Amino acid sequence: MAKARLIGDRTNRVMVQAMERRSTDVRGRIFQISLLVTLLISLFILAVLIVDVVVDAWGVLTGRPGGFLNGTMRSVSHDNKLGVHQALVGTFWIAVFVAVLAFPIGIGAAIWLEEYAPKNRFTRFIELNIRNLAGVPSIVYGLLGLFYFVNTLGDLTGGKSIASAGITLAILVLPIVIITAQEAIRAVPQGLKEGAYGVGATKWTMIRSQVLPYAAPGILTGTLLSMSRGIGEAAPILLVGAVTGRLGTDPAFLDFSAINAEAFMAMPVIIVEWVQNSGRDPGFAEAAAAAIVVLLVFVILMNAAAILMRNHFEKKRG
Amino acid sequence: MPIIGIVVVLALVAGACSRGSGRGVGSGITGRVTISGSSTVEPISVRVAELFEDVESGVAVTVDGPGTGDGFKLFCAGETDISDASRPIKDKEIGECAEAGIEFVELRVAIDGIAVMTSVNNPVDCVSFADIYALVGPESTGFKRWTDAQALASELGSSSTLPDGSLDIYGPGEESGTFDSFVEIVLEHIAEERGQEATTRPDYNANADDNVIIQGLQSSDSSLGWVGYAFTANVQGVKLLDVDGGDGCKAASPDAIATGEYPVSRSLYIYVNKAKAEASPAVTSFVDFYLSDGGLGTAVSDVKYVNLTEEDRMASRAEWSAR
Repeated sequence: MAKARLIGDRTNRVMVQAMERRSTDVRGRIFQISLLVTLLISLFILAVLIVDVVVDAWGVLTGRPGGFLNGTMRSVSHDNKLGVHQALVGTFWIAVFVAVLAFPIGIGAAIWLEEYAPKNRFTRFIELNIRNLAGVPSIVYGLLGLFYFVNTLGDLTGGKSIASAGITLAILVLPIVIITAQEAIRAVPQGLKEGAYGVGATKWTMIRSQVLPYAAPGILTGTLLSMSRGIGEAAPILLVGAVTGRLGTDPAFLDFSAINAEAFMAMPVIIVEWVQNSGRDPGFAEAAAAAIVVLLVFVILMNAAAILMRNHFEKKRG
Repeated sequence: MPIIGIVVVLALVAGACSRGSGRGVGSGITGRVTISGSSTVEPISVRVAELFEDVESGVAVTVDGPGTGDGFKLFCAGETDISDASRPIKDKEIGECAEAGIEFVELRVAIDGIAVMTSVNNPVDCVSFADIYALVGPESTGFKRWTDAQALASELGSSSTLPDGSLDIYGPGEESGTFDSFVEIVLEHIAEERGQEATTRPDYNANADDNVIIQGLQSSDSSLGWVGYAFTANVQGVKLLDVDGGDGCKAASPDAIATGEYPVSRSLYIYVNKAKAEASPAVTSFVDFYLSDGGLGTAVSDVKYVNLTEEDRMASRAEWSAR
């Protein structure tokens, strides 16, 4: 009884202090402020980067936005035909390959590992390897692509083609898709699953009607991150056929014959190339900045699509 | 479901700015020309291809620039029609081509000087080949200050007095054609006389990106480095050193490079696969155009390299017609 009163007294004291705003929790405040500072630093760096790029790109983006989107790789920067069309087509198809190959395979593997696989030494070994694969340098995947998709399966992929690059990047992001999808599935409350079983659902019905809808927002976030990573890679696709100087053809977006045609271009490669060209022709720095803005917008559009879908699923889950 | 959504959104964006590729006017030649090789020569080939496209829009010319050595690997495997090179082909590479039964013709197309550079704050204005050997040659490994190289430079007969300052060296890495040319022009002769391997010291800041090299040179008041002359056009905070190749200090300028007066210069080449030129009118007419005044005559100066003298250009044309 006495002890309870003591605790009550102390609570009372803290309450009074708090209400009179004579807080003595200095260390707590410092911690809170330093957390805020870390957040502001990250935002500040991001803002500086974006402002810097947009300022550099302003001339090109406002001067001839259509020409830049429809233009091709050129040798000199003051050329009206200079632009990113070829690279945008390449990156678009690479994104399609990643979406069509990596997402279903990755999400499927994650469902199996979380819901069906027995927890034994073998599955632990598989999971360990998936985690290791997520940390393998991207150039190694480029070599894999060169050996298997360009050389061994050259008849199918067209050799050094968009198809080879797309498959290579799909494999590159696969471990990330699996890991994030696993985390999302693991976060589904046990009660939901038991409830489904309780009303007589089979395992498949339970997964389809409870696990997947609940995990969908998390899975989407993961797929989105991996997609952004995939289309931002330059090193591996240089090995499987992206050219740095000039691409003789300029196919349309929905020209399917371009998928397994020899040689292609992609946004990260054109950005690297133009930044290097700016050494002999400073105008390329502006073009590189504009290409970065185009790639950013491309990623933001994909983000927007995924966020719309996530909201849709979250409402369903509500 | 997510996939379909993404594809639909992208397809809408795509449709908004899609377009076909214009094909076939000019003399009606169609076909493909595949070029790979030196990233130094790449802009010249790209510019020529652009000018060629205005005349023969039915020919698709693709140009890649992984490096002279990598280019010859593809060329001798028969994968490319033309190989860009910032140095003459090596005996080993000739052997590889011969083994694969590939005959080629070597054509000189332009000249590139290698600029030896330092910070504007460095008092040095001129270096001799002996000084450069003493500063970056194989025997300079471990030298941390310019003065460390003084004894070796004097031993080699140089009369320069090197300044006191930390020796911060920036240059292209071994995979670069500029590295090979620099070693061959400046270091090889002295290294052979002294029984050393013809290479640079291993302990310098090597980078494939010329911009990074120039940033490095700007970052130290007593830096030293070398890049292709074309990359020095608009740089600040660094200066080009005069070089003494035995005939006194010579400044790097387009004229001095074209005439060979500036000692650190090199020729740029294209190598054409004879059989492919024989079989493909696209390749033949492209090389014809490359060597013409409308090709080389315009392209080389457009991308800021140094034109061959008229005589040398005639020599290349003769070489091509005699194939």
